[in-house]
Amino acid sequence: MGIEFKKNLVVFHDVASVEDAEVLLEWLQGKTGAKADLSACTHLHCANLQVLMAAKPSIQAWPADAPLRAWLESALVAV
Amino acid sequence: MNPLLEQFLSEARDFLQGIGETLMQLENAPDDADLMNELFRLVHTLKGNSGLFDVPEMTRVLHAGEDLMDAVRNRRAVYSRSLADALLEAMDFVGMLCDELEADGRLSAAHGGSSARLVEALRKPIPADDNRVAAPEPEPELAPARPTSTLDSADLPLDGIPEAVRMQAYRRSCGGECLFWLDYRPDEQSFYQGEDPFFLARQTPELLWCGIQAREPWPPLAELDAYCCMLSFQGLTAASRADLEEQYRYVIDQVRLTAIPRLALVIPGGDPNGGPVYEDFVADARALLRAGDLAGLVRNVSSMLELSGPDLWIASALRWLQLVLEIGQEEGAVLDALVDCLESLAPPRWEASELAAAPSAASEPTSDRQDDAPRAEHGREAPGGERDALSPLEADTLTAVVAAQREVLALSDAPAWLPGRIKAAAEALAGCLRAVDAMASLQSLEVATASALEARSGAPLLAWIEACFPADASIERGPVGLAAEPESPPPRAGAQRPVGEDEIKFGRRAEDAIAAPKSLKVDQVKIDRLMDLIGEMVVAKNALPYLAGRAEAVFGVRELSRDIKGHYGVINRIVEEMQGAIMQVRMMPVSFVFQRFPRLVRDISRKLGKEVELILEGGDTEADKTIIEALGDPLVHIVRNSLDHGIESPGQRRAAGKAATGTLRLRATQESDRVVIEIADDGKGIDPDVIKRKAYAKGLIDETVLEQISDQEAVNLVFAAGFSTTEVISDLSGRGVGMDVVRTAVEKVNGSVALTSRKGQGSQVRLSLPLSMAVTNVMIVVSDGQRFGVPMDRVVETVRVPRAAIRVIKHSQAAVLRGRIVPLKSLNELLGLAAQPKSNDDDELAVLVVRLGDESLGLLVDDFSETLDIILKPMAGVLAGLPAYAGSALMGDGSVLVVLNLKEIL
Amino acid sequence: MSKTVMIVDDSATMVLSLKSTLEMSGLKVETASDGLQALSKLKSGTKPDLIITDINMPNMGGLELIKNVRTLAGFRFTPILTLTTESQAEKRDEGKRLGATGWLVKPVAGPDLVKVIKQVLPGA
Repeated sequence: MGIEFKKNLVVFHDVASVEDAEVLLEWLQGKTGAKADLSACTHLHCANLQVLMAAKPSIQAWPADAPLRAWLESALVAV
Repeated sequence: MNPLLEQFLSEARDFLQGIGETLMQLENAPDDADLMNELFRLVHTLKGNSGLFDVPEMTRVLHAGEDLMDAVRNRRAVYSRSLADALLEAMDFVGMLCDELEADGRLSAAHGGSSARLVEALRKPIPADDNRVAAPEPEPELAPARPTSTLDSADLPLDGIPEAVRMQAYRRSCGGECLFWLDYRPDEQSFYQGEDPFFLARQTPELLWCGIQAREPWPPLAELDAYCCMLSFQGLTAASRADLEEQYRYVIDQVRLTAIPRLALVIPGGDPNGGPVYEDFVADARALLRAGDLAGLVRNVSSMLELSGPDLWIASALRWLQLVLEIGQEEGAVLDALVDCLESLAPPRWEASELAAAPSAASEPTSDRQDDAPRAEHGREAPGGERDALSPLEADTLTAVVAAQREVLALSDAPAWLPGRIKAAAEALAGCLRAVDAMASLQSLEVATASALEARSGAPLLAWIEACFPADASIERGPVGLAAEPESPPPRAGAQRPVGEDEIKFGRRAEDAIAAPKSLKVDQVKIDRLMDLIGEMVVAKNALPYLAGRAEAVFGVRELSRDIKGHYGVINRIVEEMQGAIMQVRMMPVSFVFQRFPRLVRDISRKLGKEVELILEGGDTEADKTIIEALGDPLVHIVRNSLDHGIESPGQRRAAGKAATGTLRLRATQESDRVVIEIADDGKGIDPDVIKRKAYAKGLIDETVLEQISDQEAVNLVFAAGFSTTEVISDLSGRGVGMDVVRTAVEKVNGSVALTSRKGQGSQVRLSLPLSMAVTNVMIVVSDGQRFGVPMDRVVETVRVPRAAIRVIKHSQAAVLRGRIVPLKSLNELLGLAAQPKSNDDDELAVLVVRLGDESLGLLVDDFSETLDIILKPMAGVLAGLPAYAGSALMGDGSVLVVLNLKEIL
Repeated sequence: MSKTVMIVDDSATMVLSLKSTLEMSGLKVETASDGLQALSKLKSGTKPDLIITDINMPNMGGLELIKNVRTLAGFRFTPILTLTTESQAEKRDEGKRLGATGWLVKPVAGPDLVKVIKQVLPGA
């Protein structure tokens, strides 16, 4: 459920809830070179999304869900 | 019955009761805002509930009632008695519909007229300017902050959308779909409203392309507030405006929709440098266009494309030209412009006129070209005029559905299921209205449906169709054949099926259907069953002492006998507690009877032209259900008497120096094991002289009595059978029966009634009833070898009188007991038994002294036996006709005890 | 994991109707008959993923409930839908101002209810 932190990697499972965003932000604030694995993610609350956008972790794996991936790529692919 | 309907009906009755009560309270306090709000809430909730069922007649009336109460509480209408009358009448109607629903599971078609009449009566007091008959409030999300396309499509970053996506969108637009640019900027605080803007955006229908952006550069991570929404969402979608507005209805003020003309998507892009030389191609293309040789142009374009690198700007422009040619929906000017741009290497600049013209050049009138047209006119237009919001397919379907209804309604046969047919057609038409968002016409549809049902003819609905969906060319254009196809939308049986499915589903959930089970509504039958069972338990328990006796006397095992007696004690205690608990379940507050009086008093006093204030006190006093129920009729009778004969008209009262408004007070109190109800009025009271004369005239008393009788005794004569003081029999209380009926009814449940009155100042009736009648304490007497029960509350004492002490006065026997002469009667004689009373060895006769009213009387019996608590069951069947017996009870040894009804046999 | 919806309505009929629909869609349902009861349930550990509340109720109405719910730590972000009738536009807006997510219009048809819930509850 939600998000799971491993060393430098945050792994998203299923749905990341709005409450998760606070934890995610805290975690990202203390990391440099953080990575994110979104492959098992089916949805993440908007708050998580903007935290990711602001922190710009490198995305190690995109969601399997294609429309979700399209949305996220528009926001998270470095321009 | 479907549990939901059952729940609805049970709750509806409570609501109706509550509405009635609140209205009554409002009569006395018409300015009480809390009461007004409460009344509104009740009507409102009831209306909401009725909407769950297919009961349009009920819902319509309740809706009108709700509007009226809303107007009253907002001071747009003035509360008055006539207004209350209208509401009460409407609620009576709703109550009647509830009864019908309960009995038949549905409503007959005959209520349209009454419903329409009641609605009219309810709407009348609402000032015309906000009377919502014709136009129910417009869908609020349409009224404020509608997302308008202030942006020109040229200002949008359409070129950021990949060419392939734009081409796909272009194709769909040519296919008749409309395109929108969506710009959704969620409120910064939106997370605190439980929203997830990203989730909402992801569900945008028919999304072709999407993008997310930060609205401002991100602050340093340490300063970021995760819960302040900083994002904006963009998208290109082929969904209709209606669908998009539906999707974003909760945040419509945060969304901007811009209609995209398909030519706005035609933006070549890519590397502007390089590629073959195009001058010749352009010259040839112009020549071919002039000659109208589009096939030749297509050939040239594709060979030119093969020569160009795909990433070139030129190649992109060629691909667009190819696509436009392939679909072939554009004007020549568009092709010219595309060819021109191959030469100028500048994007085509579409003139406003071309942009506007382009979509309409499509085969079907697709939707939102007139995007900025005032949709605020919503609801005022005929529904047909709204069709531009529909895709061609939808428009055709709509046409077909309407045509189908027209056909069905035009059928001239009148089958038994005609009401069903009309309802189905109405349902389908309502669906059409919803589809074109013409909710405002629903009301007129309902009215037309009601009159159709009443007239048992489709004509009113046909007329409505002609008014709302005129059969003009555009609507007839739809393929008529479609209407005949079975799967074409709803008209007949299909419309009803989903409801049935729901019922079955709800049925499966019946076991967990009770919400918040703090109090239960239990069927009376179940409580009665509990009563019966506890009765049997008492009987079974009573067998134990008998068994103990046998164990000792017959089998000689004293120890076992003692054990049995010990256990009997335990069981006895449990049974008694259980009995008490069940009694408690049967207890009901007196308010159950009281609650009908506000309405009754109001109605009667208005009819009689009297002003009466009713005061109810002690409504929470409880008594057994049987007692409470037995109270109803006597109370109504007494109250009617008070209103009819007691309280004077305002004129008479003023003349007598009293307040114009009379007071009627009903008060319940508990006095030890009895509940006492007093009904007091401050009316003209009872004139003892009038009563005396009347009683004498009717032969109820003789001259001697007439001389001697005290005023109080005279007043009590009103309880004598056949007495009635009214000179003119009114339709209210004087129906040829008097207070004797009240007395009989009250005494039936072991109650008593007393009347006191002071001439000119009012009367007071006092009813005293037992709290419970389920358990009766009886004394068992033996006479002629048989055992009889006599209710203990009648028994004064048991004495043994020497035969010699019995005197015969005239033809009656009597004895002097404690200095008073007590008449004696032989029980055998009273019961028609031939045997003489037996005396004991000392030649004493057993006399059971009982109380009858204010008198004592001695019953000669053979012997006295024990006293017992029994569950008295009324005589059933043929035996019910024997008034001498109050009922029977089963004894521990299996025998039956009959209990005497002393009042009857004496 | 199935989601829990709390229905707050003083009408047992309305509660029963909504509850049946929701349970058939695989959701868990908690009920309360007014705002006070709902609040005390929320405070004593009930943790719905969505709250659906009527507006007009005795003891504590829906609008006041919303105001109160938003002050509870665990319910800052919980979606709340108000149950309104078509004539209660101003109540809907007020509900939104106080922190409601959206509204339902009575009578709520089963499929509509499910649709709205899918719209506000990711993973439902």
